[in-house]
Amino acid sequence: MSISGGSGGAGGGSVGRGMSWCSTTSVSSSGKRIQKEMSEFGAYPPEDCSAGPKGDNLYQWIAAIIGPSGSPYEGAIFFLDITFPTDYPFKPPKVMFKTRIYHCNVDLDGNISLDILKDSWRPTLTISKVLVAIKSMFTEPDPYNPAVPNVAYLYLEDRAKHDKIASEWTMRFAT
Amino acid sequence: MDSDSIANASVPASKDSSKEFVKKKRGNNRLAKLKQCKMDARREQWLSQVKNKGSKEESNGIVGCVSFSSTLSAICGRENRSLGSREVRSRGDEKEGGLGVHTANSESRVDNSLVSGVSGNQESRKSWSQSSSSSSSTSTSTSTSTSTSTSTSTSTSTSTSSSSWCCSRSASEEEEEDDVDGDDGCVDDWEAVADALTADNKQHQPNSEPLVEMDPALVDAAPSELVNKEAALGASEMEHCGEVKGSVENNRAWRLDDAFRPPCLPTLSKQYSFPLNSERCCAHGAVTWPCNGIISQPSPCPICCEDLDPTDYSFLPCLCGFRLCLFCYKRILEADGRCPGCRKYYDPQNVEMDANGGPPQYRLARSFSMSTRF
Repeated sequence: MSISGGSGGAGGGSVGRGMSWCSTTSVSSSGKRIQKEMSEFGAYPPEDCSAGPKGDNLYQWIAAIIGPSGSPYEGAIFFLDITFPTDYPFKPPKVMFKTRIYHCNVDLDGNISLDILKDSWRPTLTISKVLVAIKSMFTEPDPYNPAVPNVAYLYLEDRAKHDKIASEWTMRFAT
Repeated sequence: MDSDSIANASVPASKDSSKEFVKKKRGNNRLAKLKQCKMDARREQWLSQVKNKGSKEESNGIVGCVSFSSTLSAICGRENRSLGSREVRSRGDEKEGGLGVHTANSESRVDNSLVSGVSGNQESRKSWSQSSSSSSSTSTSTSTSTSTSTSTSTSTSTSTSSSSWCCSRSASEEEEEDDVDGDDGCVDDWEAVADALTADNKQHQPNSEPLVEMDPALVDAAPSELVNKEAALGASEMEHCGEVKGSVENNRAWRLDDAFRPPCLPTLSKQYSFPLNSERCCAHGAVTWPCNGIISQPSPCPICCEDLDPTDYSFLPCLCGFRLCLFCYKRILEADGRCPGCRKYYDPQNVEMDANGGPPQYRLARSFSMSTRF
């Protein structure tokens, strides 16, 4: 079952500053950058990860991460939507879970509370590194920077119960 | 300057130089062997012509100079005999080069002189001869450098053309000596110099100037004599000219700023003799060095993946050493203004435009030496 990411619209549209002129110039550079990332990703994909453009749109990618072993998400496949803004890499890509997951850093809409996708984004980061970070998020949730406070609270208070619910959700939605 | 007066002076000078020559020259002449046959034939021709003039120098076996004047012929003959085939050849080449060029047209002459100036011995000779001829056109005497004495003496000799010729000879002598020394291993500097001179066949301009300066002292041009010489020399001269050029092209040498120039080679101690050359090299170096640096390390901007241009390479916006292109830098400054490498805020004070050119001091020294020269 997939969550419809309603907020995941066109990446460039949401960028407030520097509308027409800036965006047109940045498109070409971001395109080249994204193409390079795509080739590199194809050559050296991170473990248990895959990603690529959805169709012929270079700025719309789809990615998949296999739940790491040793976590309640083990063996499941989680799909993500990646939308590159037109001023990428100066702005972080928008990454959203398309597969429902019980995780304190992912809300019901699939939005991810991950620092490198927000304030800590650096132009030197790549989508490959982002996916690796997300994968590590499975095994090490960050309850102090939660997208869903209840889950974070449960994770801190009753880790076993949290893991049980997580594995149930994984069985229901991700396998 | 009238040719008659100083003829005597020219002879002794030539003798001294020729003696020194002989010692040094015996070792090396390969090119001489090649041309010797031609020279012999021509020598015979000239001898037959010269017999009429009948000077003591003639008896010495004067070859090339005979047509011009007894003094010249005497000088030439001594040199030729003493030096052997190569001397003769060089002499012939000089004459031919100079005369041939002259005859052809003033423009061609100038070009040749310019071209020949930098290159090695033969070139230098040719250039000298040419320059001397050109000097005839230019005007009277103020001889600058080493050849002054010789030039004056030569000027005394019979014909202006001959004088110019002699001058060229003296110049060639010097360089030949240098060359010989280099071959013998006596003087390494001069080999280096010769190489440096030969390095650029196309850009000989620098040398031409000093030559020209020398020339005026030598020459009040007597075009008629020149014409006569030319006629006498005939087609053979032209051939020689061609040979000279070819040899010039074959010479290998390093430019002062040449990357492949062995460091062991000395910087030209006698650089003053080709000041303009050094200048040219410097200018060249200024252009080439940064290029080399750029070519050596092509890499894309880590942000936008566009190749960094020379400006970007010289641009170091952050102390962490993270390089990026100026466009990306501008974009980042407009946004949060933090370095992508270290995530620290960019400090405009720390932005470095590091000089790409390694050789600025080198260039400065060069230019300085030149300026001292003038």
